[in-house]
Formats: sequence, structure tokens, C-alpha cells
Amino acid sequence: MITNENATMHSMMNSGRIAKRGFALAAALTLALASAVQAQVPIPAPRQSQPIALRGATIHTVTDGVIENGTIVFDNGIITAVGADVAIPSGARVVDATGKHIYPGLIDAYSSVGISEIGAVDVSNDEQELGDFNPNARPNIAVNAESRHIGTSRTNGVLVTLTTPSGGLISGLSSAMNLDGWTWEEMTLSAAAALNVNWPNPNARGGGGFGFFGNQGPQEDRPTYEEQIRSIREYFAQARAYRGARAGGGFTPMDPRFEAMIPALDGEIPVIVSADGVRQIQDAIQWAQDEDVDLVIRGGRDAIHVADQLAELDIPVILTSTMDSPRRDWEGYDAAYASAARLHDRGVRIAISGGGGAAYTNRLPYEAGVATAFGLPEDEAIKAVTLYPAQFMGISDRVGSLEPGKDATLLITTGNPLDYLTDIEQGYIEGREIDMRDIHRFFFEKYMEKLRQKQRVIS
Amino acid sequence: MRRSLLILALTLLLPGFVAAQQANRTQPVEGLRENRVRVHALTGARVVTAPGQAIDDATIVIRDGIIEAVGRGVSAPSGARVWDLDGHTVYAGFIDAYADLGMDDAPDNGDIGPTHWNEQVRAYFSTSTSLQDDEDRRSALRSLGFGAALAVPRLGVFRGQAGVIDLSDRNVRERIIRPNLVQTVAFGASRELGFGYPNSPMGTIALIRQTLLDADWYERAWDAYESSGRAFLPPETSEALASLESAAHGVQPLLFEVTAEEEHLRTRKIIEEFGVNAWVRGNGEEYKILDVLSVSRVPLIVPIDFPDAPEMDGPEDALDASLGELRHWYLAPENPARLAGAGVEFAITTDGLGSESDFFPNLRAAVSRGLSEDVALAALTTVPARMAGIDRTHGTVERGKVANLVVVEGDLFDDGAVIRDVWVDGDPYGVEIPARVDPRGTWAIESIEGGQRAQLELGGSLNRMSGSIVIGGAEVDLESVTARTEAGRVEVSFPTDAIGIEGTAQLAASIDEDTFFGWALFPDGNTMSWRGSRTEAASGGNGAGPARDVPSLNLPNIRPAMAYGRVSTPEQPENVVVRNATVWTQGPQGIIEGADLLVRRGEVVEVGVDLAAPRGAVEIDATGKHVTPGLIDPHIHSGTDGTNESGFAIVPEVRMGDVVTHNNIWMYRQLAGGLTTAHIKHGSANPIGGQNVFVKMRWGGLPDDLLLEDVPKTVKFALGENPKRRTGRYPDTRMGTYQIIADHFQAARDYKVRWDEWERTGDGVPPRRDLRMEAILEIMNEEILISSHGYRQDEFLALIRLAEEFGFTVQTLQHGVEAYKIAPELAASGVAAAVWSDWSSFKLEAYDATTYNARILLEAGVVTSLHSDNSQLSSRMNWEAGKLLRTGVSEEDALATVTLNAAAVLRVDDQIGSLEAGKDADFVIWNGHPLSQFTKAEQTWVDGRRYFSIEEDAALQEQVRREHAQLVQLVLQSRNGGADR
Repeated sequence: MITNENATMHSMMNSGRIAKRGFALAAALTLALASAVQAQVPIPAPRQSQPIALRGATIHTVTDGVIENGTIVFDNGIITAVGADVAIPSGARVVDATGKHIYPGLIDAYSSVGISEIGAVDVSNDEQELGDFNPNARPNIAVNAESRHIGTSRTNGVLVTLTTPSGGLISGLSSAMNLDGWTWEEMTLSAAAALNVNWPNPNARGGGGFGFFGNQGPQEDRPTYEEQIRSIREYFAQARAYRGARAGGGFTPMDPRFEAMIPALDGEIPVIVSADGVRQIQDAIQWAQDEDVDLVIRGGRDAIHVADQLAELDIPVILTSTMDSPRRDWEGYDAAYASAARLHDRGVRIAISGGGGAAYTNRLPYEAGVATAFGLPEDEAIKAVTLYPAQFMGISDRVGSLEPGKDATLLITTGNPLDYLTDIEQGYIEGREIDMRDIHRFFFEKYMEKLRQKQRVIS
Repeated sequence: MRRSLLILALTLLLPGFVAAQQANRTQPVEGLRENRVRVHALTGARVVTAPGQAIDDATIVIRDGIIEAVGRGVSAPSGARVWDLDGHTVYAGFIDAYADLGMDDAPDNGDIGPTHWNEQVRAYFSTSTSLQDDEDRRSALRSLGFGAALAVPRLGVFRGQAGVIDLSDRNVRERIIRPNLVQTVAFGASRELGFGYPNSPMGTIALIRQTLLDADWYERAWDAYESSGRAFLPPETSEALASLESAAHGVQPLLFEVTAEEEHLRTRKIIEEFGVNAWVRGNGEEYKILDVLSVSRVPLIVPIDFPDAPEMDGPEDALDASLGELRHWYLAPENPARLAGAGVEFAITTDGLGSESDFFPNLRAAVSRGLSEDVALAALTTVPARMAGIDRTHGTVERGKVANLVVVEGDLFDDGAVIRDVWVDGDPYGVEIPARVDPRGTWAIESIEGGQRAQLELGGSLNRMSGSIVIGGAEVDLESVTARTEAGRVEVSFPTDAIGIEGTAQLAASIDEDTFFGWALFPDGNTMSWRGSRTEAASGGNGAGPARDVPSLNLPNIRPAMAYGRVSTPEQPENVVVRNATVWTQGPQGIIEGADLLVRRGEVVEVGVDLAAPRGAVEIDATGKHVTPGLIDPHIHSGTDGTNESGFAIVPEVRMGDVVTHNNIWMYRQLAGGLTTAHIKHGSANPIGGQNVFVKMRWGGLPDDLLLEDVPKTVKFALGENPKRRTGRYPDTRMGTYQIIADHFQAARDYKVRWDEWERTGDGVPPRRDLRMEAILEIMNEEILISSHGYRQDEFLALIRLAEEFGFTVQTLQHGVEAYKIAPELAASGVAAAVWSDWSSFKLEAYDATTYNARILLEAGVVTSLHSDNSQLSSRMNWEAGKLLRTGVSEEDALATVTLNAAAVLRVDDQIGSLEAGKDADFVIWNGHPLSQFTKAEQTWVDGRRYFSIEEDAALQEQVRREHAQLVQLVLQSRNGGADR
């Protein structure tokens, strides 16, 4: 039968062509097998206990150029030195990274890692709280440290996520999470990094939640686009009044929702507005100008049409759709792929995120890589998933680049981490050498063992 | 429309007719007979006797409904009623070849009696025998000039019999000209009749095919029964199948209503398969497939319901307007002219118009866009007459024909031309009756007692008049003016302050062409009589408005008729040589650097270093570039109309190949990402779904051009969550899924036993061909290969073992999120797998996903490829393969999962998948390593034709953007009233 002939042919082809790294991996796995199969998902690493020096690598500092044959030293989780000619402290563990590349850990500016597990299983999802206004919904305390998607994100280089709730008009806060730790507490890098506004859709009435205009029930009873904007404005006005009243002398009972908005009103954290259509983006900009908040646009599918305004007002954009389809038949096949480059050329600051769900946080490097294929300079693509999201989210004092004083959250790779041709060999989070196994590897190890058992029997 | 209401009201003023031909009526006369004169002479008109033939100042003599004479100098017979039609043009009455006359064909409480198991099969219904057409619609159609129409039923797939009727107000029994002329069919089910099978375009075609087979069987089954002397139980009775016998045997025409360009093509395939005698009611997109329509002639009826301009309320609307939609908006009025230009004959129908008042504006728009008036007139008269087989009696103004006439003031095709009367069966129906008296103009009047003189100026429209009066030396506006034109009366009121009386005077006068005689009631209670005469006649009237400026845009005919459509198929050079590239052959030659690829007439000849190319070969320098086989995706859903036929759990008779569409922008985007072949799958709603189809990305071709030739047939199976979640339909569990598949395998075996027995003995009712059972038999013979959707290891293993029990092999698992868990079993059973690179956790059964899936399968020796199940993903499959590198798959093996293995999982690897001598010249030129995220496709070739190049794309993007902008401008101008398309 042809089927069997094909199977045999391919079996022969495949066995003859296992890649070098395939061999290396297989050898390592055989040794580690017994313990690996017992160890479910990765085990959080202990605190850094001695200085570590990674030596001989090409270090991509992001803020201060590329250092060939460089050394990076970190202690107590903090980078202490980076350079070509760096003194290695006594007692340091020296890791030879000759021929390797070192990059800051990648940052996903928009993720649901830890609060979403299985898409179609409702009870496994904690992304969307009831109602239109949930500024106090703070995801870090709901992050499941055992989520399978934590491990699979790390092995592809994503070490920090801005875990973010969704839905309603004010969805909640983004929490910056280090993807290693026994508990959410250990993982939290910044509990409240940004406030998220979910800009309404101009072409459809509101739905879900319980807004000012009671937006459940029949379509015609749901609020219009303009009504929803009015209710966002009204909510911010109330929050501002609350802030004034609390700052004033008299007694004002505490309101958890308004309280959570004060850092955004004070400009201490940005307001991220999810907006894709050109009308949404334009209207969100006007709203943010009126509110005098620190605006970041997330989505930005049509941002190119208002690029000059975004550049002029220095409003950053987190692109979530670099690998999406063109939305209109007449747009080029590369409209989304090239969107980052086009915005960059017009002077818009951009970060890149996938936004495809918790299990797909591991695609982040590719979302940025595609932008490189379509014109974004390589170093800008790296910044779009490291330094820029850190800056937009106010965590660039900790992560986003390799500088003394910042967290030792970094990657050892064989090349540019945005390319499929590169392997991510090791990650460090706050100086901790993290476990590079994940659920994908676990299943690999387990079922390679089955294969060995069964095919031994067969042959 | 307001005018139309008036017209309808006037029509009713004419007396109803009771035909004089007492000898031909069965109904007794009640009361007294009515014997009006049925001899008429229409004189002085220009008579267009047939398209392109006219007689000036002619007389038409009508006697008892029939034209007795036509010509110049014909004199009116004595006793004839004479109609002076100077200044008018008379045409033959129009015939609507597809009229929805409001036929109430919905069954009240479901169909009663032995009709057909499927509620969509209503072939027994007859518009003639059930004629109860809507009087308002009939009258509205008649007022447009129509004297006869094919009345069509509107519900179901097989909708029933359409018949030709006349549009007079005579008794229903006297209006049927040709009953049950054609059977009518549609490509979609009517939801009014239910939501069951079929609920998809491909399911509908399956039902049409099965029903035509059944109609043929039905006759033979009954013949066998009768000729056996009723020796066994009778076959089933179905009025629907009985009614379809003639059509199924190619005698009675089958009129297909098509709603898309592709359905024209689907009709033609049914004609080819069953030899039916088809007619088509088109949808206005015929200009897109003139090449097809001009070759295979099928009687064609086209609508003129041109689309409205897309909404354009802001710049975002302009951005969102699709180029395909804009192009069709602009080109739709050109459809009739382009058809005529291609030599395609057609009838025009009013069907589809949002309002009757659109008919003449749209007809004239078609003429202004190049349709000749003669062809337009023929499309309304002689062509439909011939189609309906009534050309001996209808369609022209000739001696001996039925007196159906249209009387127009001026010329039919002039803007503002007005239909005065429509004659049907020799009886006149007034449409727009001219005002008998027109009071507008200037009147000099004086009081009969003397003393007062006045001048009255009357203007405005007859419905809404205004005016002024000069009296007592002062001119004042009239407070009100009303014309009573039938009575010959005008009523005005005006202030009388100027003559020293405070208040309003009311004046009512009888008028004719020149004289005025009236009386007025003054504020003081006095009355005063007036008389006078007209000093100036009315001016203005119903003249044509200014001719509209029609900007013209030269839109090339492209296919598909949308963004990035092609003007022509890319040429296939005799020889092509790609020089000095890194060539990934994916065959025994492996990866060769600095190599050349030689292609001849669409096939690979050789890959090697420094190849000698034949003289005149097209040379492509690919130094520094990589060349790979065209990418292949074994699982997509773009490119067909519809995905799931979920009306039954088991539907292998349904074929995706029946509903391939070329209007699929994804195809261009997929080419841009290096994809050259895809396998379009039926959806996953059924344990046994429909048959899938292979397409090549021959962008610019018609559906049949896209099909991959000489490939195995395949069918979709689906296991797990999807097929069991349809509420109220078996199965609800994986257990039931297994059982229903097993039962159908057994049923197909039993079916074959019955057939074999009948073929051996010839005894009893001949068995019926059952397309579902035949497909399952083919599956069990591996003539149709199973490609089964599923996630978990248990469900796959169960299906594989079930197939093995029945003696065959499952060809390929698709998705296979847990395929790695049974890799050794798959390898042992020879089952291939097409999996995702990294899809995970979107539902429970996808939770145990691992990116190492393909790696483990490959290690086990399973023929393994990737697939997308996603239109966007399928346009970048090289990157999907790139994801495997991080799991330790070699580069060449990784690329194989989207090339050679993707062909092998469906057994098309003898044709495509690698660059080896004799295989199809489907290849991609990449600007770098094909698995790198930083690489893009520069050229994509299919069959040795370059279907995509990145330079050509840049030019196309600019051209598309410009054309879009121009069309948006036209929409804005048309909306502002400054232009029409």
C-alpha cells in the first residue's frame, strides 16, 4: 500500500537527518529522563546566591550598543557590570558564553499568562470581571504560578509579561510579572503598572456589563458609541472628584474603584487604551488630551492613518497585530507585517505584542521578527519587545536593557532571539538561573520514552 | 412613487372587463352581459413593430384582442373606437421572464400527503394551478409595460413549476398562457421551510444531484412495479419526484436562479452531469464571466437591480469600502451592454428591483452605459417571447398577434418619457392619464356685472399649484389653488384687501382650453360671477431634465473582479532557468548551493550546478537567494462558499469541490507567502463530513481552473468535541461518534449487497443510487481517503481500529494535538498526520499540546506535515515550519513538513512537494533562508508561471490604491447628485 511505502520512506529520510542540536538534546534528555518525567512543569529557581559572570558573549545591551566578546556580571539579582573589559569579582561563578549572544529578557506588553488557561473552558479564565468599570481589578493576585503557559513563554525568551484583564470599558490594571516564582507574590514586578481602557466600537453598540446606560438586553437598548464615550468621561470625572474629596479635609468613604484610578489620574502610571480602528484611535487621543492622562494606544491596527498625530503628541503604540490579516481587500498582503516599520518611519514609538492568548505568549519573538522581515531595523525590533514596553509601562528601571543597576533578567541565545533559526539556551530572571523545561518538553520526554519502549518491541 | 400611487388609482377607474367570448368561458354570466366594443384603431403613432423596425404615423387595428392590421395608411374599420396617438410611440407589450407575483407558495401546516421527504423539494408545486397572484404586484408590473410574465415560485431548492400568464385583470382561468413551462431550482435552501439538510451551498448541490437521480429512478421503479404485475410492495410515492421526471430527462427546462457568479458555473456542471435543459436567472454579475457565457449558451435572464453606492459618511467608510464592491457598483449598469457586446442573448427581468420606480431609470442607465436600445427592447419582448415559447403570439406588433402594447408619450428611452397606456389582450389599461384640462397659464377675467377686472396667473404642478391675482391694481398671491382636471374646474382663494374688503374671497370656475366661467364668494357675503379667457398657455410640463454628466472610468476586466485581480493568466515560458541559488529540492538531491533550477512547460526538468539552458529560456538570477518547492497546506477553509453541512451527522455525498470560489483574496495573500497548493476541508460538524478539494493557487482562474488534476479524492471525518456538540443530533459523545460511523460503514456494505443481488437477478424494484452510500463504499475501498479531524489519542485510535476492522486504513489525522501520544501506533498502522506547529489550549482537548508533536511523529516514522486550518497562517507556512527548529527538527525536515510531507500526507507527492524531474514547477524564490523569520518570498511560481512577484505586487498595491480612491470619488459625486455612474 502506498501509505506504508510513504511511511517507510519518510522514516528513513527523517532518521538520517536529525539535526546536530537534535542529537545534543536527545543525549541530554536520556540522562535527565528519570528526574525529568517526575518533574512536572519547571521548578522555580532559588535566589541568586553568588555573583555570576557570563563571559565571552556578544552582549546586546539595547541602551548602549553591542559589545563583542563581552562580560556581564550580576549579583543579588542586579547587574553590576557590563563591558568588554570587566573585572570578575572573586567568588563569582563564571559561565563561558563564548560564541553566544546575550539579550535582555523579552517583555510581552499585553498578555493573559497566569489568568487564562484554556480558552473554551470558562472556569479556567479570570480575564474579565463583571461590569463596565473595573479599574481596581488587579491581576497579579490571581496569577496561577503553576500555569503551563509560564514555562512555555520562558523557553521562547519571554521573561516578563504585562498580565492584563479584558472587557468592559475600564478593564482593570496591568501587572508586570516575572515569569518565575513559587507564588504570584514572588513573581510580581509591578502590581499596578497601567490602567486599561477598552475603547468602544463605533460600529456596534455596547454589550456585556452594567454601565451607566445599562448595556444588557436588546440591541436597541444598549448604549451607542457616543453614550459609551460619555460614560467613560463621566467615570473619570467622578474619579477626579473623588480624588479631590479624599485629598480635602472632610470625610469621604473609600471607593475601591476610584481609589485604583488615582495613580493614573496623577500621571504616575499610563492609561492604555485598546483601540484598533482609525476613529477609535483618533477619539481616544482626543479623550486623553482632555483628561490629561499619559496615553498608550494598544492594538493600533489603523494607527498608520494618524501616525503624524501620534508622533507629534509622542503617544506610544503597542502593536498587537503584526501577524494579522489585512482587514480590507485592497490593503496589501503585507499591511500588518509592515505596520511596525511604517509607524517607525513616521516617528511613532512602538512596542510589539501578540495578544493571542496565554498559550501564545511564546509567539512574541516572531511577532517582532516579522516586522524585521518587512522593514523594521533589527535593533528596533528588539527594543519593541524589551526597552520600549518597559519604558511605556514604567518598569524600565528594572528591565528592558542590560545596564548596571537593572535586574539581571536576560537570555543566552545562539543569535537574534526573534529568529526561528536561533535557539534560546538559558534565561535568568533577577539573576536566578531558570529551569528551561516546560510542559512541551515534558510531553516530549515522556512520549519519546513510549516510542523507545514500543519501537523496541516492534523491532 | 407618489406618482405611481396616483397611476394605480387611475387604473382602477377603468371598468373591469368581462370577456365577450362567451363560447370559450365555462363560467355562466350573472346578471346582464357586457358587450363593449373590442375593436380599436390606434392612429397617428410611431409604431415600433419589432426591435429596430418602426413605422411612422401608423395605425394599429385590434379586434377581439388580436392585432388585425398594422401599417401606415391603414384605415380604422367602422365601429372601431379610435385612439389618436399623435406624438406617441407604441411598442409590443413587455414580457417579464422571471416575475415574483406574490405567489403564496408557503405550505400552511407543512406539506400534506406524499410529496418528498425533504421540505426543500417542492417540484410538485405549480404557479399555474395555484395561481393567486397579487393584484397590486400584477398591476405594478403592467404599469411598467408588461403584458405577460413567467410566474415563478420562490420557496425551496426545487421550487416547483413556473408558468406563463398574462397580466390582464381577467379571470384567473383566462390568464394562463403556458402552464408548467419550466421547473425552477435555487442553490440555497429557504429558511421559511426549515433549518435542516441542506444548510450549506455544497449540501444544496448534493441534494440537487441526488434528487435528479431519484427522479430518474422513480420512473423506473414504478415501471418495474407495474410491469411485474404488482408482484411486490410498491416503491415510495412522491409527487415531487413524479413532477421532476421530464426535467430530469432533459426535456422540460430547469430554470436555475443564481445569486453569484460562481453559481453560473455550478449550473453548467449540473448540465454536463445530467444533461438537463437549463435556463438561468442571473444575478447581474455576468460581465465577470463573459468568456464562459459566450461559449456555452444557456437561455439567460438578467436583472437590472443595480446596487446602491456603498455608504460613505466619513473617511473611515471610504477606507472600509471594498474595492470589489466599489467596482461592482460602478460596473453593474454596464452588465447588459457587456453581455450584448459579447454576443450573449438575454432577457431582462424586473425581479430584484427594490421598487418598480427603479425600472426605467435603471434601464436607461444600462442604455447610457452602452446597451443599444434595440437590444434592450428585444430583452423585454422578442427574447423572452422566444424563451417562453410564445413568440408566435407575443413579442412584436404584427398582424395576428395578441394585442399587448405599450403606449409611450415620446420615446421609451428618453428621460422623462411617460407610459400612457398598456394594452393587454386588446384591452387598454390607463397608466398615466394626461390631465384632460390644464388650468395653468394666464387668464384675463372680469365680473359679469362689470366693474371688476382681474388677471389670474396659475402655475406650479397640477398636484401642487400656486399663483397670483392682479385685482384692484394690486398683485397678491393666491392663498390656495386646486385643479379638478377631470371635471374641468379650478378653485382659488385670495385676499380682497386691495379692493377695500377685509378678508378672503373664494372663486370656483369651470374651464376648458380657452374659456373661464365662475363665481366668487366675497368676505361680505356677496357673490359675484366672472368670465374670461386664457391669454397665455401653460408653459413647462413633463419635459426631460438636463442630461446628467456621466464621468467614465476605464476599469479593466480583471479576474477575480476585486483587489489584485488579474487581467490575464501569467504566461508560461517554454523554458525557465533560475540561476545560482541555494536550492532546497526536498528530494534525494537535498539542498544544493549555487545551483540552477530548470523548468520546461510547467514541469521541473533538473536541478544542478551550471545547467545548460535551452536557447530563449527565461533566465532569473537568484544569487544569494533560496529556492524551495511551493509550500503546501493540507488544511484550509478559505476558497469555498460554505464550510459545514451540518444538516445530517453523516454527509460524505457533499463535495467542497462543488463550491470552490475564485473570489478569494486569501489566494493572493497565500501566493505572496509562497503557498502554491492547498487542501480545502469540509468543516468539523460531522463524524463523516463532506469531501475535500485540492486547489492550486492559480489566482485569476475560475473555480475549475484552480482544481488540482489527477489527485485522490478525500473526505473529512471529525472526532471529539466538534461533531458531538450539535444539540438534538446524534451523537452527543465520543461513544456515539464511533457507533454512528460504524453503523454507516455497515450500511454501505448492506447497500452493496442489495445492488449486487439486483444486478444478478434483476428482481424487484431496481435499487436507487444513493450518493451517500456510494461515497462510504469508496471510503472503504480507499478510493476516497479519510483525513480525520481530531485531538485526542483515544478517538484517533478508535477510528483507526474501526477502519482496520472493515479492512482499510485511515490516510491521515489532522490537527492531532495528541497524535504524538500514539506515534508508534500510527507508524505501525501507516497513518499519516498533519498537525499544528504550536496551537494549544484553546479548548480542553487541545490542552496537552506540545510543540514537539511533529518532532516525535517524525522520530516514529510517521509521515508528518504541518497544516494551518487558518487563512492567515496558510500565507506564511515557512514560518510555521521554522517553529519546529527549536524542537530539534533539522532544517530540511522542517521544510519538508510544509512541502514534500504535506503532499505525502494526502498522497499527492507524486506530483508536487519537491523539485524533482517531472514534478510540477511550483517553486518559491526567497530573499534569504526560507525558515528565517527575517525572510520573505520574492517570487511564487505555479506550473511554471509566475503568479507573484514582490515588484509586481508593489505596482499592484499602488494601482489598487489609486483605483479605490477614484471609485470613492465617484461615489461621493453620485451622492452629491453631481454624477451618476
